[in-house]
Amino acid sequence: MATKLKKAGALTATLAMGAVIAGCAGGGPESEGGKITDDAIKLGVITDLSSVYSELAGPNAVEAVKMAVEDFKAEHGDDAVTQNIEVTEADHQNKPEIANTTAREMYDRDGVDAIFDVPTSSAALAVANIAKQNQKMYFNIGAATTELTGAQCNPYTYHYAYNTHMLAHGTGKTVTEQGSKSWYIIYPDYAFGQDMNKSFTEAIKESGGNVVKADATPFPNDNFATFMTKAPTLTPKPDVLGTMQAGDDLVNVVNQYNEFGLQDKGINLAVGLMFDTDIASIGVKKLEGTLYTTPWFWNLDDRSREWADRFKQRTGTRPTFDHAANYSATMQYLEAVQRTGTDDADAIRKELDGHSFDDFFARNAQFRAADHAVTHDAYLAKLAKVKKESEVKEDFDFTKAVKKIPAEEAYMDAADSGCDMG
Amino acid sequence: MSGLLQQLFNGLVSGSFYALLALGLSVIFGMLGVVNFAHGAFYMLGAFGAFVLLDSAGLNWWLALLVVPILLGVIGMVLERAFVHRLMHLFPLYNFLLTFGIALILQDLIRLKYGVTSQPYPRPTILDGMVDLGVFTYPKYQVFVLVLSIVLSVLVWLVLTRTRVGMIVRASTERAELTQSLGIDVRRWVTPVFGFGIALAGLAGVLAAPMRAVNSEMGADLIIVIFAVVVIGGLGSVVGSVAAGYIVGMLTEFGNFYIPALSQILVFVLMALVLLLRPAGLFGREEGSPA
Amino acid sequence: MLNVDNVTARYGEAQVLQGVSLGVDTGEVVTLVGRNGAGKTTLLRCLMGLHRAMTGDIEFDGRSVATLPPHKRCRIGLGYVPDDRGIFASLSVEENLTLPPVTGPEAWSLEQVYETFPVLAERRRQAGTHLSGGEQQMLAIARVLRMGARILLADEPTEGLAPLLVQQIGEIIRTVKAHGVTVLLIEQNVHFASTVADRHYLIAQGRVVESLDNAEVEQREHELLEYLGI
Repeated sequence: MATKLKKAGALTATLAMGAVIAGCAGGGPESEGGKITDDAIKLGVITDLSSVYSELAGPNAVEAVKMAVEDFKAEHGDDAVTQNIEVTEADHQNKPEIANTTAREMYDRDGVDAIFDVPTSSAALAVANIAKQNQKMYFNIGAATTELTGAQCNPYTYHYAYNTHMLAHGTGKTVTEQGSKSWYIIYPDYAFGQDMNKSFTEAIKESGGNVVKADATPFPNDNFATFMTKAPTLTPKPDVLGTMQAGDDLVNVVNQYNEFGLQDKGINLAVGLMFDTDIASIGVKKLEGTLYTTPWFWNLDDRSREWADRFKQRTGTRPTFDHAANYSATMQYLEAVQRTGTDDADAIRKELDGHSFDDFFARNAQFRAADHAVTHDAYLAKLAKVKKESEVKEDFDFTKAVKKIPAEEAYMDAADSGCDMG
Repeated sequence: MSGLLQQLFNGLVSGSFYALLALGLSVIFGMLGVVNFAHGAFYMLGAFGAFVLLDSAGLNWWLALLVVPILLGVIGMVLERAFVHRLMHLFPLYNFLLTFGIALILQDLIRLKYGVTSQPYPRPTILDGMVDLGVFTYPKYQVFVLVLSIVLSVLVWLVLTRTRVGMIVRASTERAELTQSLGIDVRRWVTPVFGFGIALAGLAGVLAAPMRAVNSEMGADLIIVIFAVVVIGGLGSVVGSVAAGYIVGMLTEFGNFYIPALSQILVFVLMALVLLLRPAGLFGREEGSPA
Repeated sequence: MLNVDNVTARYGEAQVLQGVSLGVDTGEVVTLVGRNGAGKTTLLRCLMGLHRAMTGDIEFDGRSVATLPPHKRCRIGLGYVPDDRGIFASLSVEENLTLPPVTGPEAWSLEQVYETFPVLAERRRQAGTHLSGGEQQMLAIARVLRMGARILLADEPTEGLAPLLVQQIGEIIRTVKAHGVTVLLIEQNVHFASTVADRHYLIAQGRVVESLDNAEVEQREHELLEYLGI
């Protein structure tokens, strides 16, 4: 029912927009003819609309992009480079081959100027390749791999929001420096997990810690008892269990970490990647006191809250960092088009390279020219202690920042990234 | 040594879930000749049932343990009367497709209502913490799960071997037509047996709620392993499916311990070996057994 | 007691029974003799309700049973022994005996069964299929006696048994008859048939072609054997 209403709403909005455009066509401001292809800016959102990431990204990521478009049009009014901005969406089901075809269709057939989001690293890399071939803009937000700004970087791809290096150097480094020197790492046996294991191991060693053992676990997996019983028997006994699992697997790990009472056995828990949706699934109580790294959370400060309130009015839920980053990236792109007066990809990337900005999502931010990482501050966050789950009054209202990780630390030096823009 | 014992225990606990699910699947297959693909979906509904009862009615886990399986059992019986029954005289593939469809519908309904992320479910307070088993300490909750599933398996076994109802179920499982020609209305028993199998799956789901991620997909991955368990134990063999459940549990657990990357394949390797060497399964009887 | 009137039946496209009519009187032992594929087993399955008769009627005790499901036919006194003896492997010998409900006042008690067939008593706890072929046949017939069935429908009880065991089955059938149970049995062994039965129906291509008494069978034994291809 709710979805039907939402769809009906979207339809009305589209119709209304169409009417406005038709009305403007005659007497609108003289557009600088030819600079905006098809007289329209077309944005494509490729995301997971139906499966595991559809709540942390998904339909609400599309909403965030639409919200940015509306805000942009409202802000610039008649001065906007065009009022004709379209948003199309597609479900890639986290599969690289579907992402590949969809991206091709969007650029070639639909004349899309920029693609956003694309969670899942393998799918993200597939789209980067298409963006490079088509010489069209691509802002990846949902994926974590540093490859996007490393060996597989290209001039048309920017990586927004976060990456495995940020997570590892936030959580891995801090936890080690706080005294948990010995780590037992478990990671899911696929690209993301292996990448996380590598980044964490580096960060831990740099901070003077050591990894006692790193075990690849089956994926997906609902039973981690083996690893929970193994942890205390390792020599030396690890101080901390680092889990690189994501989504439902992470829920299982945390549940079973709790059940096996590893905390009482002196083994802390560090989580590699955690979205607000994961925390809600596990229950804050089981996670209380857990440290993790995040590029953003909605209750960060007034600016964030103000935006999150508007997002909630629109969607009914609080945003994840993926939603916020989709909004921010869309806005940055549209502003760049406004500044240059064209949607030509080469002009846009030249405009964006080296551009510094600061918005509700990205603080101390820069479009880094060398490797196309969009760098900004991240946060080491801690989950509130609660007596009961019911103390959490609002969606995702459980995170406190304990430390700001400045952009320079959160991202690796561009020189080390292995990126060659060519 | 205690490490090994502990892994053994881990295996028994995960085997408990396999055993409960395989038991229901096996009884249903034996009696109806239906491979119930929706079994995993009912396991998922069991966990969601517990979640919904707690979330909307404040009913605790212990009540859910009682209410949810009964409720699902009734739903199972209704489904059997309304759909499965009508296809029984057709080629078995029809019912396989039917139950496959039911599984997809149930999963999507839950996803529509509750989304894709997992729902939180707390452990019952009494079962919080660890219990000292002498050689090692172990989570109370998991010990409870293990004991309950063994008790249930034994109870089912006693009912099957010591009661008249059990005798009828065994006979109809082995040869439904013959049983019918011996004066027993097999059709009357089909519906309750289907409901019973579903109730067991639901019970496994309630047991899983506090320790596994509760989401619409939780049964979908499991059902494939359960099929393998039933094949290993011998289709339609009750003792076989329970024993194979625990065997597979231990196999995956030791696999996780020694060769984590391969542990999920091990069960299918075992299945292939069993099929090659003993096609009727470890506890199954060969067709037309010798006189 | 049992009247079969113009029964037809198909297996897929093939018409296996082309209109069978026959009758069995109370207390009689009657055999159905015929080649493999003549339709004898199908006829017995039709009588039991396990195979659908397309047309025709089956009367038992003056009442039409053609539309009754198998378990109801059993309950009014039909006792069935299928061609593979129908012993459950997952049931013990004793369970095999007690599985069917008691359907008539003449039902044997377990003690009576064990007294008559001591070997079953010895092996009462064993799985039904652990018995030898002859013992399984004995068990199958004993099961019908324990039900108190009024007619025994047995599908070739001597098939594959050694001569000594065949004689034993003959003894059992005489015992059955002595207890007032009517018997309709399928038999290829015409010599054996003539020693246990009162009358015989010769079945060919889904029809009753001849009704014979014992004297005729003995006279024409060679002809019949040739006809049956034995």
